Amino acid sequence: MDSLSFFAMSWLSPELLGLTALGTFLGIYVGAIPGLSVTMAVSILISFTFSWDVNNALCLMIGVYMGGVYGGSRTAILLNIPGAPSAIATALDGFPLARKGLAGEAIGLSTVMSVIGGFVGIIVLALAAPSISEFAITFQPRDYMMLGILGILLVGSLSGNSLAKGIFAGALGLLIGTVGLDPMTVEERFTFGVIELWDGINPIAVMIGMFGISEALHQLHHMDKAVIKQKISRIIPKWVDIKKYLPLSLQTSFIGVIIGALPGTGGDIAALMAYDHAKRVTKNPDVPFGEGAKEGLIAPESANNAAVGGAYIPMLTLGIPGDAVTAVFIGALFIHGLNPGPLLMIEQPHMFWFTVGNLALANIFVLIFGLTGIRMFSKIVECPKGILIPLIFLLSIVGAYAINNAITDIWWMLAFGVFGYFMRLYGFPVGPVILGVILSSLTDENWRRAILTERGSVTDLFIHLFSSPLSTVLFMSIALILFTQTPVWSKWMKPKLARRFSN
Amino acid sequence: MKKITFALLATLSLTSTASFADYPNKDIQGVIMWGAGGSTDNVMRSIAPHVEKELGTDLILTNKSGGVGAISMKYVDKKKADGYTLLMGAENPQMHRVLGLSNIDYSDMIPISLLARGTPMIMARSDAPYDTMQEFIDYAKANPNKVKLGSTGKGGLTSIVLAMLASQVELDYISIPYKGDGPALTALQGGAIDVMPAVLGAAIEHIKAGRMKALSMVDVERNPLLPNVAPITDTLPGMKAYLPWGPFFGVFVKKDTPDDAVKTLQAAFKKAAVNPDFVSLMEKSGYTIMNTSGAEASSFLETYRSTSSWLVYDAGFSKFSPEKFSISKP
Repeated sequence: MDSLSFFAMSWLSPELLGLTALGTFLGIYVGAIPGLSVTMAVSILISFTFSWDVNNALCLMIGVYMGGVYGGSRTAILLNIPGAPSAIATALDGFPLARKGLAGEAIGLSTVMSVIGGFVGIIVLALAAPSISEFAITFQPRDYMMLGILGILLVGSLSGNSLAKGIFAGALGLLIGTVGLDPMTVEERFTFGVIELWDGINPIAVMIGMFGISEALHQLHHMDKAVIKQKISRIIPKWVDIKKYLPLSLQTSFIGVIIGALPGTGGDIAALMAYDHAKRVTKNPDVPFGEGAKEGLIAPESANNAAVGGAYIPMLTLGIPGDAVTAVFIGALFIHGLNPGPLLMIEQPHMFWFTVGNLALANIFVLIFGLTGIRMFSKIVECPKGILIPLIFLLSIVGAYAINNAITDIWWMLAFGVFGYFMRLYGFPVGPVILGVILSSLTDENWRRAILTERGSVTDLFIHLFSSPLSTVLFMSIALILFTQTPVWSKWMKPKLARRFSN
Repeated sequence: MKKITFALLATLSLTSTASFADYPNKDIQGVIMWGAGGSTDNVMRSIAPHVEKELGTDLILTNKSGGVGAISMKYVDKKKADGYTLLMGAENPQMHRVLGLSNIDYSDMIPISLLARGTPMIMARSDAPYDTMQEFIDYAKANPNKVKLGSTGKGGLTSIVLAMLASQVELDYISIPYKGDGPALTALQGGAIDVMPAVLGAAIEHIKAGRMKALSMVDVERNPLLPNVAPITDTLPGMKAYLPWGPFFGVFVKKDTPDDAVKTLQAAFKKAAVNPDFVSLMEKSGYTIMNTSGAEASSFLETYRSTSSWLVYDAGFSKFSPEKFSISKP
């Protein structure tokens, strides 16, 4: 009974309700601007709300978080610039939909699916938080290493026509990701003595350049073509559509919750894995993936919003952040005098239900604000190219600067923009580059931790892959994915299996 | 439109010429050395509002993490020495010279305030077969190359505590580096590592919940927050040579900042650091409030630099000898 009253607290107080709404609204727009990250917005709000009551401050910040994760899809669909790395997969099929004049429908569908994903995350948080967080911290370095490898195998899904070109792009991304001070030994790698390179090349700068600038440059080829008129007759998706895609949305939401709950991975990896999952389970999409398949839009959007609830799981139960934003939330609780940690659930049990209730409320506001204003947004794409292209440039430069308030990031962003343009020109996919940059450090660090743990013995590492069910499952999935790509599988096993199932 | 531009330019030039007249007359930028949500960030964001009240101006905080703190040092060093850019940092730059990371450290800056310092501890996973420092040493000696020790890279808190330990007792262990004490403490709970030196503030909530145990306080006396944990000098009296030692949080300005600005800032931070909200926050999380500036702060910084630099040099992982930078032996 007590928990219910704390759950409903932010729903019943007009002040908290208003702050949550305001936060969500702000979050959607912060999230939509590439480079302006939710992490940054929330940490600015900590100082801003310092003297406030803790509940008021949390409502505003939770709203920004929920709205921000959703908002990244807006610019991904409309301009092919993901607002955040977790919206990269959204751009792959969302932007082609906008180019077909279906931006309104795409945004509507992504909003509904984001909200469904969000609720799955919240429900799992409410019902199973303690057991999932215990599970999440049992991930050993070798398990993270295998997650990284599983992620790298997604190159296959992001490659488009030529796998070879995809692998090249992915490898380039991994290489870019290794630039900077070695995170484990503080040794310089590919820095050539330049201090600005110590921190490496920011993945968000690479992302904005490769997607945004290269898109703008590419559109210069089509200055003479008429702009696509957007059909905005339908915004709220059809009920049959929702019903049709609901199973996929739920599956990918669960991927999102688990990946989000792991302290070492977040919404970006979750969304990419969800995209890959959608590609595997969708046998005959109405439209091929990469050309505007709705499945390719739904999967990452469900997953990245589900990851919000997931990230809260270890944070509220153990005081371990599930991602960068929840790390800032821990700081906020600390500054407000609550002791974030494993005792939070015992000393401040109301905090848990208050957060769950507030997340649910923010998720409803995402639905409301997400479905309004679409008409106006879709008009952006209808802008004459002479306005739209400079606008993309402006947005990209502001975004790149905003990451770290550093001019260096702008140069990187522009350089990767030009490079990405030539990659596109010669048929190289840009998605795998970002994938490589994101996964580089995860795989690199954990491979080294895993092998250090085994005192450098590869044999011991392989033996230990079968020492826990988790490692075994992960290893088997990698083996299976690789095996299904061999001739043995496609020539011999696959027809056999197909025959058995058809009988 | 033109008129407005001119008016703006005029006011801009006015404010810039009058900037030395009475400090502060515009917003002050605070550059935080580490990322959002980290311990440096938390400490700085919790003192900033009290400082704003004292100064009557806004303190705009930005996080400029990277290069183990060197990026933020370099950034502040490039700004004008006018007292409008504060460096809000931690202990790291004091090691930069010997580690070959950078040639600027806090001796090139003016300390406005050393706010607080943390106490390191030796933590172990809750089901480890040892409960005290002595039992741990015995276990590690009996099982050479078995214990997995978490660390946070060269020059980090763990590496210095381990260097201290190595000077007293010879242990064979596997060292597994993590990016920071947050991820390493998570790994400790998941059993990926067995033992890990960490700062009290980061570990206290987990200790209270019984999710990990404290083997020893790396200090000369017991800490009131955890009175049951014995100081390391009980087991290894030789450690007294280095202790008390610990990471600290401080606010700095560039050298040659005008005196009146330095005085104003020092007074404001001095007052802000005794604000009961800030004090209780620091105490609760296990930080010892220092609230010092001037000569006292400089001598603390020098002691820290010489102890740590020589420790890592003797442990063999510094790039240069402290002598090269005329850092005297402790």
